[in-house]
Amino acid sequence: MALLTLENVTKRFGGLVAVNQVSLEIAPGEFVGIVGPNGSGKTTLFNVISGVFYPEEGTVLFEGRDITSLPPFKRAPLGIGRTFQIPRPFASATVRENIAVGAMFGTQGHRLSVDGSLEVADEIIKRVDLTAHRDKAAGTLTPVEKKLMEIARALAMKPRLLLMDEAMAGMHPNDIDQMVAFIKRVADEENIAIVAMVEHIMRAVVGLAEKVIVLHQGSKIVDAPTKEALENPRVVEVYLGHAPEDSAC
Amino acid sequence: MFFEQLGGNLIQGVVLGAVYGMATMGLSLIFGVLKVVNVGHGAFIMVGAFLTLFLFSSLGINPLIAIPVAFMVGMGLGLIFYYTTIRKLIKAPELATLLATFSIGVLLEELIKLIFGSEFRGYNWVVGKIDLGITVLPLSKLYACIGSILIAVLLYLWFKKTRAGSAVRSVVEDSEGARVCGINVGGAYALSFSLGIGLTVASGVLLTMFIPVGINPYMGGGYTLKAFVIAVLGGLSSPYGAFFGGLVFGLIENGSYTLFAYIPGVEPFALTRFLSFVILLVILLIRPTGILSAK
Amino acid sequence: MKQIQKYFPLIPVFAAYLIMFLLGENMEGMWQLMSMLLFYCALGQAFNVFMGMTGYVDFGYVAFLGVGTYGMALSITRLVQYEFLGAWIIVIGFGLAMVMSTLLSMAVGAVALRLRGAYFAIATIGVNEGFRFLIEGARIWNGSEGMIFTADLNKVLGRDAAAALCTYWADIMVLVIAALAAFVTLVYMRSKIGYALTALREDEDAAKVMGINVTKFKIIAFITSACFAGLLGATAWALKTPYVFPPEVFEIHYTIEAIIIVMLGGAGTLLGPVVGGLVYGISKYYLSIFLPGFQLLIFAPIILVIIVLFPEGIVGMLKAKTKGTGVERFIV
Repeated sequence: MALLTLENVTKRFGGLVAVNQVSLEIAPGEFVGIVGPNGSGKTTLFNVISGVFYPEEGTVLFEGRDITSLPPFKRAPLGIGRTFQIPRPFASATVRENIAVGAMFGTQGHRLSVDGSLEVADEIIKRVDLTAHRDKAAGTLTPVEKKLMEIARALAMKPRLLLMDEAMAGMHPNDIDQMVAFIKRVADEENIAIVAMVEHIMRAVVGLAEKVIVLHQGSKIVDAPTKEALENPRVVEVYLGHAPEDSAC
Repeated sequence: MFFEQLGGNLIQGVVLGAVYGMATMGLSLIFGVLKVVNVGHGAFIMVGAFLTLFLFSSLGINPLIAIPVAFMVGMGLGLIFYYTTIRKLIKAPELATLLATFSIGVLLEELIKLIFGSEFRGYNWVVGKIDLGITVLPLSKLYACIGSILIAVLLYLWFKKTRAGSAVRSVVEDSEGARVCGINVGGAYALSFSLGIGLTVASGVLLTMFIPVGINPYMGGGYTLKAFVIAVLGGLSSPYGAFFGGLVFGLIENGSYTLFAYIPGVEPFALTRFLSFVILLVILLIRPTGILSAK
Repeated sequence: MKQIQKYFPLIPVFAAYLIMFLLGENMEGMWQLMSMLLFYCALGQAFNVFMGMTGYVDFGYVAFLGVGTYGMALSITRLVQYEFLGAWIIVIGFGLAMVMSTLLSMAVGAVALRLRGAYFAIATIGVNEGFRFLIEGARIWNGSEGMIFTADLNKVLGRDAAAALCTYWADIMVLVIAALAAFVTLVYMRSKIGYALTALREDEDAAKVMGINVTKFKIIAFITSACFAGLLGATAWALKTPYVFPPEVFEIHYTIEAIIIVMLGGAGTLLGPVVGGLVYGISKYYLSIFLPGFQLLIFAPIILVIIVLFPEGIVGMLKAKTKGTGVERFIV
């Protein structure tokens, strides 16, 4: 059974159609890249999956269950985790406490006490090598450390699907490679499906994604195994065929 | 008899409503541009009222002249508060600007109390009245109403026709984009904030025409609540919505007062004020962005 | 953390309250000052549970104190005829105060708590006014005339006991409320409730995505805070001075004082309201001797400075300074 299924999802904002009849399937443990330029509807699609928006048409199914109008906070315990492009730490809390929050309200939340969640946090901190910063206020971390913590916090939820929102932008290519490899490793170990959303096809994503979905102006134009997608002429056109838009002055 | 009374009260309601609306424009302007809720709004109205009182009682200056004076004073105050406090809090959590504007309001109340004392005051500016059959309208109130409409129109023209106004409008649409186009966003914020405060203090002058003896340092609180009801009615970020919201509110307030007066065993004045609170909650429940949203 | 160690932060709080009590008991003429300080500490603790922990401002907070006052007043005036109840009328009064403030907070919360920060503040701006004008307008519970129940209280408890209540036991109960509020605050802080509140205060949208039902937790904090306010009103207002008068018990300036106390001391900290209550209370007391009526004039700009430059408040700064030292676990 597919982990996540979108059927003809359409999201409108007034007259603007941000996501237009998009259907897709993510299998358990799959690593998928969703690619598209700014304005292609990727963020809106993510927001529909995580519950920030409800689509006007279509359904979202998670593990067979219809979650289309389920509020966002109910999706996390089901197993949908999310990271943001610009990390959103709970600044005044410590790194340890931040990550513990993930555990407390995630898929294992009902089983874990506060102390149990803190233990889970400690484990993950070791894994991502943030031990030195464990008791620092999350707001004082460097941007790279914040990204790492963001991911750690999402992993603490023990998700089955992790939506990663351009978590690599602005990082050194080597760091990106390392982080993505780490994520892939964890994902494989825990059988987490990863949907990474990126603006253009990055080598890191390409190296690890099993399949690539390309969005353009709200519609899905390509949905294929990575190698095929890269050779698809429409993809090339989308990335090389358009002039940059003029800013409105 | 009832309908005459109701009709008379409704006319009074529209007249008052125009002034209420104008009094709220500053609030909506500040929220629309800076996303700051000026919880101390009523205190600035009170400052305008005291200014009028001072100018009239001590210097014999006609309240109509007080209007531009109040406006300037308001802009000055706005600039001061913007640069010392508000500017530093734009990036801070919402709690900060809410508490800051609230504290500014408290500060103003206490300062005025220090200077003028806390007794209730008033002044008498008698310029005659006009008889409309079902009701008698003092000319002072009529002037206030006309003044409000005039100011609203001037604001509209300012936004549409001047460079500064257009700059502010583009900042509202997209502050990043405006910045990229070379617009001084910080300056636009400062201008909008002081303009908003200027409008609010000026409205205090106009409102005194409706309060024979009610001027006191703590009068602002009641107006803050009314202003928020009106602002929310008109769509919190739109000054024009606020104006029309004011008209609607004036009608409702006066209409309900008439109706309540017919119910035995209740105090109509208090119940009317309770009603405005209920209206606020109802709108916030159904459509927080306002019933009369206009750009 | 070992179980008992979790509660260490209460030690400085309770110690402060104990010291205040002892000073009041044993030093001539100090009781009045101490009772005022305890009131402010209790007010701060109660208010902090909501504003400090969620970061939302309830401008209509005093309404809960007012409602609690009415609860006690109603119990005394309506049940005085049932002589067999005796002093239980006071207990029932507290119960009624809690029930009424819970109901009011649920009513207000149902509308206001769905709204985000600024809209929430707007919704609460008129709560105290609205409720006061409802009582006056619809002539509920004697409307604008209020209620005086000194005579009823004397009947219920007997003259001497009633006098002791007004001058002594009511203040002891304020102390109990302050201590209880501190205890509950710490319990929340150490539990999932506290983590959820911190998360939603820092970043409400991220909190939602992490699985936190922000509305539920806001409601919990809101009702808790309202209950303590109700209990406080019932004792510090109704029992100390047996009359209730709408314009007085719905006076916004108590909300202002609560805000000052919490921000000054450190919003969201356990010790903050105690420090804030002490600093504000002592300042007000001495100011009232030299410059009566000036305390708000002086504190308004102080709060502005705090908001802009020291938003963490006194205890917040203390926490930062003592990080990594042994004292850390006592300053929360």
